[in-house]
Amino acid sequence: MDDLRRVGETTLIATVHDAASTAADQRIAALSATGLRKAYGATVALAQADITLNAGTVHALLGENGAGKSTLVRILTGAAVPDAGEIVLHGQRYAPRNLIQARAQGVATAFQELSLVPNLSVAQNLLLPTLPRGPIGLVSSRRAREAGAAILARHGMERIDPTAEVGLLPLAERQRIEIVRAIENAGRVLILDEPTASLAETEWLFERIRMVTAKGVAVLYISHRLAEVREICGEATVLRNGNSIASVSLEEATDEDIFEMMVGRRLDRTSRHRTSLAQTAGPTRLSVKGLGGHGLSDISFDLRPGEVLGLAALEGQGQRALFRMLAGIEKAERGETAIDGMAANLSSPRRALRIGSGVAYLPEERKTEGVLAGLSAATNVVLPIMSAAAFAAVITPQAELSAARPASGKVEMNARYLSFAIGDLSGGNQQKALVARTLATAAKTLLLHDPTRGVDVGTKQSIYAAIRSFAAEGGAVLFYSSELAEIVQLADRCLVLYGGRISQTFEGEAIAEQALVAAILGHAPSARARA
Amino acid sequence: MIVGIYVVLYALYVYQQPRALSASAIAALFNNSAPLALAAAGQALVVISRGFDLSVAGVISLCNVTLAVYPMAGPGGALISVLICMAIGLLVGAVNGLLVAVLRMQSIAATLATMIICQGIALVILKAPGGTVADWIADEMTGRLWNAIPVSGLVVAIVVAVWLLIRRTNFGMAIYAIGADEQSASLSGMDTTRVRFLTYALAGVVYGLAGFMLSAQTATGNPTAGTPLLMLSFAAVALGGTSLAGGRGGLFASVMGAAVLMLLQKVLFSSGVSSFYTGVFQGAALILAVVLSGVLSRIGEAK
Repeated sequence: MDDLRRVGETTLIATVHDAASTAADQRIAALSATGLRKAYGATVALAQADITLNAGTVHALLGENGAGKSTLVRILTGAAVPDAGEIVLHGQRYAPRNLIQARAQGVATAFQELSLVPNLSVAQNLLLPTLPRGPIGLVSSRRAREAGAAILARHGMERIDPTAEVGLLPLAERQRIEIVRAIENAGRVLILDEPTASLAETEWLFERIRMVTAKGVAVLYISHRLAEVREICGEATVLRNGNSIASVSLEEATDEDIFEMMVGRRLDRTSRHRTSLAQTAGPTRLSVKGLGGHGLSDISFDLRPGEVLGLAALEGQGQRALFRMLAGIEKAERGETAIDGMAANLSSPRRALRIGSGVAYLPEERKTEGVLAGLSAATNVVLPIMSAAAFAAVITPQAELSAARPASGKVEMNARYLSFAIGDLSGGNQQKALVARTLATAAKTLLLHDPTRGVDVGTKQSIYAAIRSFAAEGGAVLFYSSELAEIVQLADRCLVLYGGRISQTFEGEAIAEQALVAAILGHAPSARARA
Repeated sequence: MIVGIYVVLYALYVYQQPRALSASAIAALFNNSAPLALAAAGQALVVISRGFDLSVAGVISLCNVTLAVYPMAGPGGALISVLICMAIGLLVGAVNGLLVAVLRMQSIAATLATMIICQGIALVILKAPGGTVADWIADEMTGRLWNAIPVSGLVVAIVVAVWLLIRRTNFGMAIYAIGADEQSASLSGMDTTRVRFLTYALAGVVYGLAGFMLSAQTATGNPTAGTPLLMLSFAAVALGGTSLAGGRGGLFASVMGAAVLMLLQKVLFSSGVSSFYTGVFQGAALILAVVLSGVLSRIGEAK
């Protein structure tokens, strides 16, 4: 630990140059923040944070959810004003009061929750807030389109129509547009908050990052995917409980070192456990035959009690439609679905919950499809079992709390958070509450769409544990994950979805990352994988 | 789509009343529709930015009693009168903007308060219906230019034209952006507070014009003159296909929505339907139009 801290100190020593200096010198401090502190009422979000970003380098910000990463980002982007501490940007004091001021000084951010305006076009979004004007001073849609097309072309995204409405594009494309816009505005510092949350591959992103660092821009890279961080970042700052624990060179720190700095304890490596096939033989919980529609065709599989079935796919291969059809949100055009061997008409999520042993669904987008931000975490958890929590049809906060406790315990969610408005909790705790909600339904089949999207390592482990124990008790789980490592770790069996069809199936030890990567990219199944 | 409904309804009207094609009948129709059309235009601005503005009724009443109690003769007086009306609207709109954009009050609560205040002031100015609006205003603003173009139609056309220009500015785009997603708009670098403030202020000015045109039409004062226009302005906006959830729609469609509501009144009247039923038909038309546009847009998306 002490060693690591010393390593951190050496990287913190950096000379301050003026803005005119070139990127040739790789150790120019583009941005250096010291002693940042921010409290919201009694909660200290950031206690003591120091970070130095060098021009032309990629610096990772690591930490569990609630460690203060988002607060630090908010301060750097001008969305929050720190209570103490100061920031120096290219030798000058930097204290933006809002996002516009931050941008004016060359600091731009690609937000995790995306900040694109859905009813405007791609070009308009890229150029906001000021569009090019025509000869008489009015906004020229032709010039906006041309400027937008030029920006898209610069970043290898000619396939996107600059006049397309952003809200109608797939999530992955929206994320790319968000990143492109930040890059265009980042003259000095580019902040990427979970830039790969919706991207299946990183090649495009890393190419863009190399392009901006070559121009001398400092990049702050926030991601939960350590492998990715190692690939692109040179150094990292670890936050824990609002304090910057250390800044380390990633070449010298091992994964275990970093985990230890993040969580303050070494993770015990639970050996990967797969349910044996003998256990899973028997009746099916969920049986799908020839399901089609919404871009999918001929989807057939069985899900048995005690089984964790993974779904691997690139973004936009139909996984969203599959989950939504099984959850009763969208209507299947063809095919049959049976639950516990009985044909099931999945006409609504409410119906799906009540058919046979029940099917509960965890939606993909936490912010828009999952949480009811104004209500307490407990209310969010007990929503599906409201009547059980009620006493003579009256629901008291106490009744909600006690009804929510068992489910929240399963995901190791701190009971203290249950009475908070869920919108005020960190992303990880929100996700825990949503997983707890699906568990609280007492449904025997769970459909989990990317259950650990954008959450930290600790939360991931809690969610994994909850999924495993649910399966061990005879539950059946179908989950999609954008992280293949997660499928390798969790799934007993894995379906690969490609172009709306199940292209391959992997079982047991055949589920390996390399094989899955090839499969999701559409490579023909080898004989080995079929076994 | 709303234009199509209007054409069908108008054909029905002409079929019943062949004289409806005369220039004077057309002018009468425009005069009839103008106040609601303008009220709906202002309302549409606020609705697109995701808000509701109840103060429309208060502003119109206030303008109406002001013109009836302090009539000013001649074209010069009319000019001053219209400026006063727009100033009243601007002031009320600015207060709304301050409450909603700066103090972050919910728009219904804030504009409900300003509406009540305005109506209170209107009652102080004029206790009971009465007074006379200046003759020049009552005559010229309901007349025809060169015996052909209805002045009231021209006023509405100017407002729509100004809007079409505003729509092609950063401010115009920002109204749609904050209506769809205020947080994203702000993270995209827009000054959302300023945009919202200006939206309410601008809407207030248009309400002032609506009050002016209503006074020209009725030629008398009534402290509750604006009240019937309150709910109808929302109906016109919804009928025009503007989403009450914000971010979508337009001013012209709302103006046409208002025109349809007023024309519907005429058609019912000429069909011999008792005026007590007007509300029933207007409400039914609203439901039909909103359902129909939903179905049409779903068909459009399915293509």
